[in-house]
Amino acid sequence: MEFFTKFPVMERIALMEMKKGIDLSFRQFSREYGNGIEAFFDPLLFFLVWLEKLLLNSPWPIIILVIAILAWFGSRSWVLVVGSALAFMLIGYFGMWNDCMATVAIITVCTTLCIAVGIPLGVLMSKSDRAEKTILPVLDMMQTIPSFVYLVPILMLLGIGKVPGLIAVCIYAVPPIIRLTNLGIREVDKETLEAIDAFGATTWQRLTKVQIPLALPTIFAGVNQTIMMALAMVVIASMIGVKGLGVPILRAISNQYLALGLMNGLAIVALAIIFDRVSQHYGKRIQKHREGRNL
Amino acid sequence: MNTFKKIILSAVIALGSAAFGGIANAACGKVVVASQNWASAELMAEVDKFILEKGYGCEVELIPGATMPTFTSMDEKGAPDMNPEQWANAVYVPLIKAVEEGRLVIANKAPITGLGEGWWLTPGSIEKHPELKGMTAVEILEHPEWFPYKEDSSKGAFVGCPAGWGCQLANAQLFRAFEMEKKGWVLVDPGSAAGLDGSISKAAESGNPWLGYYWNPTSIVGKYGLIQLDFGVPFAGRENWDKCITVAEQDCADPKPSAWTESEVNTIITTKFAKQGGKDIVKYIGDRTYPGIVMNGMLVYMADNQAGGSDAAIEFLSKHEDVWTKWVSSGVAKKVKAGL
Repeated sequence: MEFFTKFPVMERIALMEMKKGIDLSFRQFSREYGNGIEAFFDPLLFFLVWLEKLLLNSPWPIIILVIAILAWFGSRSWVLVVGSALAFMLIGYFGMWNDCMATVAIITVCTTLCIAVGIPLGVLMSKSDRAEKTILPVLDMMQTIPSFVYLVPILMLLGIGKVPGLIAVCIYAVPPIIRLTNLGIREVDKETLEAIDAFGATTWQRLTKVQIPLALPTIFAGVNQTIMMALAMVVIASMIGVKGLGVPILRAISNQYLALGLMNGLAIVALAIIFDRVSQHYGKRIQKHREGRNL
Repeated sequence: MNTFKKIILSAVIALGSAAFGGIANAACGKVVVASQNWASAELMAEVDKFILEKGYGCEVELIPGATMPTFTSMDEKGAPDMNPEQWANAVYVPLIKAVEEGRLVIANKAPITGLGEGWWLTPGSIEKHPELKGMTAVEILEHPEWFPYKEDSSKGAFVGCPAGWGCQLANAQLFRAFEMEKKGWVLVDPGSAAGLDGSISKAAESGNPWLGYYWNPTSIVGKYGLIQLDFGVPFAGRENWDKCITVAEQDCADPKPSAWTESEVNTIITTKFAKQGGKDIVKYIGDRTYPGIVMNGMLVYMADNQAGGSDAAIEFLSKHEDVWTKWVSSGVAKKVKAGL
């Protein structure tokens, strides 16, 4: 009877040994390859530090001007341009400029990295059903596994700082762009593809001239999602030593500073809204352009 | 009348049995001990539970806690009865008041030896730069190049305290007091406890230099053999520490260089428990001193085996008999050993 009332659990010592074994082997792995892996990411670190310094050392009116110009090119909407400039000025006025620039730097690098990794992977998935079948569960895992779980191995491997933070953010933020690239390419009209095949296009031409352009709005939705998720991870990344708006939020959490938390939280919201609207408008404009051509 | 008699009768019986029980096990009764949410406190609570139950016949219940909530509850409500590891700096003023007003008793002024906060080095630092050996913090601060900062190798990295912790302010002010920025240092914010621990284990595992803030007793100190630094300057007085080092930069602009304040850890019990438990138990609590090395060893054991407080308590009681048998009478020691 005991078998049914008490779950047959692994023997305590064996379970402990197993956990210890896993920890130990990872520790050995990081002892062996940690420095090498760190060196591998050095260019990324260099780029991040450079970008952050650039953002911090440029005069603020120039930064705001650049942001306004980017907003204009992205959205062609005066409301957004004025809104973003105003939001950044407010952030600066409330003394969050440096933290905000650090966050913008890491989000920018993270988005670039995610696009560089995500789009080729998405293309691969759309080309091969087998790749899709293997990558999808991995993406599911990346999106659902609590971030604290992978912070531990990242810390052991790379220590604290910008690069481990960046990787933690990317693990969480890269899935949407992979998924939506895959989806976008798979949803391209079959008849269009037949037409292009009939013209004798190579696979490369088919991909770059037809599939990706037609999938761009969907891919852009993925980029948008990636940016949003990266912003959501800013606080977690701060827990492993990434400077930015997350640091004051952590301070606010442990000391119950309502105003500090709220202000920095709202700054993240402002960044998110600006990035979201600009990239969405851009995505829509691409679509409009296509519709115009089709008409 | 009948019911009244019954009440008296049962009360007499109850008293009698209590008195009888008292002969057998020193009238200990029910005790609630706070088990705070870090390893050394958990271990101490479990060891106390074991010894009080097996050795003194108490009925011990452990309840989870943390520094502030546990203290507030003991002060205001008189429960739990005992906190094995109360860090006094956080509750300095109210604790003195509670003792003066007779609500709480400091039963042990130093339950763990060699504890405290301060600045530490990894052993790898000394291997790479043997000159470091025996140097004080003030001397080391002249050599930021020995602790290169990953993100800007022209600077030295000093790993401070996670954002939001009390020690963050203290480290930031000392950073200013020692004019470390001018000397070429960067104050690195590790972000969280996990970040701080991670940066130490990463440096220690790969044999890299590391200089920063940490505290004892901890498994990290025991496991990696961190070396505590002598500051090279004396403690510059309570006035400087309380009014300047531990406040934000805008509240005090000119912190003076100072060694870290002495940390005081007490075992505190409620007055009620001091009376109820009796002389023997109070004496046990007063004599119960864990040598720092033993405590760190236990914390390493807990971390390596991912063991909880109760497993570690058994390990401690069976491996370190020489330590704990000094705390109790030989009769009690025998009973505890029998209970293992």
